Amino acid sequence: MSKELAMELINVRKKIGKKEIIKGLSFSIHKGEVFGLIGPNGAGKTTTIRMMVGLMQLTEGDVRILGKSIKSDYKAAVREVGAIVENPEMYPFMTGSQNLNQYARMIPGITNERLREVVQLVGLEKAMKEKVGRYSLGMRQRLGIAQALLHQPSVLILDEPTNGLDPAGIREIRMYIRRLAIEKNVAVIISSHLLSEIELMCDRIGVIKNGELVAIQQVNEKTEHNHLKQVQIEATPIEQAIQLLKTEHDIHAVQEKEQISFKSEKENIPALIQTLVGHNVSVFQVGIATSTLEDKFFDLIGENTIE
Amino acid sequence: MNNFFKLIYNESLKIYFRKSTWIMYILLGVIILGLAIMVNIYGEVNEGYEQNSWREALQEENAELTRESEQDPFFQDFNNSFIEINNYYLENDIQPAGYDAWQFVMENEMLLSIVSLLTIIVAAGIVANEFRWGTIKLLLIRPISRTKILASKYTAVLLFSLFTLFFVLLFSWLVGAVFFGIEGVNPYIVLEKHTGLEYVSIIGEIITGYGFQIVTLVMMATFAFMISTVFRNSALAIGTAIFLMMVGNQIVFFFMERSWAKYILFANTDLSQYTNGNTPWIEGMTLGFSITVLIVYYILFLLFSWLFFTKRDVAGH
Ligand SMILES: Nc1ncnc2c1ncn2[C@@H]1O[C@H](COP(=O)(O)OP(=O)(O)O)[C@@H](O)[C@H]1O
Ligand SMILES: [Mg+2]
Repeated sequence: MSKELAMELINVRKKIGKKEIIKGLSFSIHKGEVFGLIGPNGAGKTTTIRMMVGLMQLTEGDVRILGKSIKSDYKAAVREVGAIVENPEMYPFMTGSQNLNQYARMIPGITNERLREVVQLVGLEKAMKEKVGRYSLGMRQRLGIAQALLHQPSVLILDEPTNGLDPAGIREIRMYIRRLAIEKNVAVIISSHLLSEIELMCDRIGVIKNGELVAIQQVNEKTEHNHLKQVQIEATPIEQAIQLLKTEHDIHAVQEKEQISFKSEKENIPALIQTLVGHNVSVFQVGIATSTLEDKFFDLIGENTIE
Repeated sequence: MNNFFKLIYNESLKIYFRKSTWIMYILLGVIILGLAIMVNIYGEVNEGYEQNSWREALQEENAELTRESEQDPFFQDFNNSFIEINNYYLENDIQPAGYDAWQFVMENEMLLSIVSLLTIIVAAGIVANEFRWGTIKLLLIRPISRTKILASKYTAVLLFSLFTLFFVLLFSWLVGAVFFGIEGVNPYIVLEKHTGLEYVSIIGEIITGYGFQIVTLVMMATFAFMISTVFRNSALAIGTAIFLMMVGNQIVFFFMERSWAKYILFANTDLSQYTNGNTPWIEGMTLGFSITVLIVYYILFLLFSWLFFTKRDVAGH
């Protein structure tokens, strides 16, 4: 990949007291890429993000944003970052626009035009005159994103942005995150403890567990390798179907309740069904379980860690 | 620099957009009104004197006071000082000014402790609240140094204090003007000072009276600001600062005999101990000494605030 580096973590470590919370993270994110940081609660996602934006000091290692070190060139580095860390907390006694203006005044060159633009992007035009104390969590997430985008950062960091959002809200966030990455070439880092919620918006996913990066996975890899799928067929008589698959296709199928279950490549499925139908087996239903990333990471991190 | 003004503006908005700030001002206003009403009802306010009859009026007053003292010796001391003041006017042939807005403002000097109280509340919250609200995370991820942000917060506290002080002065004066009228641009009155009776400018009295208290105000506000930044807890900052402000003098009295007593902050906050006719609290203390001690405390307070604000992680709870 010849894409430009947006952010780079180099052997980042964090010790609090005697406890090592982050144990040497190294990875990089390119411009225009959406990177998902997945891990169970307490894995160290928020701590990592706090270090990325300079809220916490690094015990060891460095974070570079467009090549600028957060340690030695803080102002220049953080100028390129917009973020929500943990919950999108705003001043509850101020209106949406008063809140945004607070942040607009802190960076030179943010015009009213730009303010309108980000408000429009997150769809909060109607709520701008309302006190943030009365906002729903979803509205605060959006205002948080607006705040993070005000100064047109090269890197956008969102810590659990899907928390407390309904599926429609998640879909909406996915939409403008993808748009930012594609149209504005922004590098986006999203953390979540729920893989399913952000899988669809990420180009690449890093799995973090106990402060360590245990896997990095390109999301579209799964469609490239067309490996075996889990297939379920509901058919009668069921014993005959199992027998036919074995004799005609050398497939070892098992009975699960009223269905038979086996592994096969997707392309073979029509032929299998033809065989069954050709031998007067009645087929009621065919189902394919797409092997998602979730299955893959389930093995990696174990059952009870990804909720 | 322009940038710094915007930060101060931001901080001031955070102070003034809050309902609690408005409630503070309303309370202040109510207290001032209440005082005016009390003075009007219970205070024996002299309405001023006629140009050609004030001498007779004062003599009559003195006769009245003497009679009262004879009937009830309880009033004797109190009345005698009035008589002396009246005599001072008569002997020096000065027509006394009536009670007016200026005198009302002068007598409201103790309102400055309420200004101190409000300043402490604001100073205690200005850093700690950002942590409580969680907004500190958004505030500190801007291309602005933490030092600058802290400085803007401290400046906003001082400006709030200044503004509140002006509010008290102006509102007292206006209420005083409505209730008692105005006797001139810069009226003089006879006051009992440590050196005896003196004919003084009321505005001068207001400036020194309020001015000496500003030292305590600034020191305690800075103290609350420090506690707020170090412990990130506004209740603790308000509690300790107000407690110390109230018992400060007792602390000094308690340790009076110790050799280090003069290094206690509160032994040095009242600079009026060095004015004419007063004796310093502890022997050997001088104005220069007190100012040095005050500056050292002040720098320490700010240094601790700065160290904790700039060096410490903003971690989760
Ligand atoms: N201030 C702190 N002091 C001590 N331990 C902390 C602190 N903040 C976080 N931790 C610990 O660090 C680990 C990672 O926390 P966090 O980064 O919040 O995880 P995540 O965001 O992935 O849920 C947790 O085990 C948490 O208990
Ligand atoms: Mg977290």
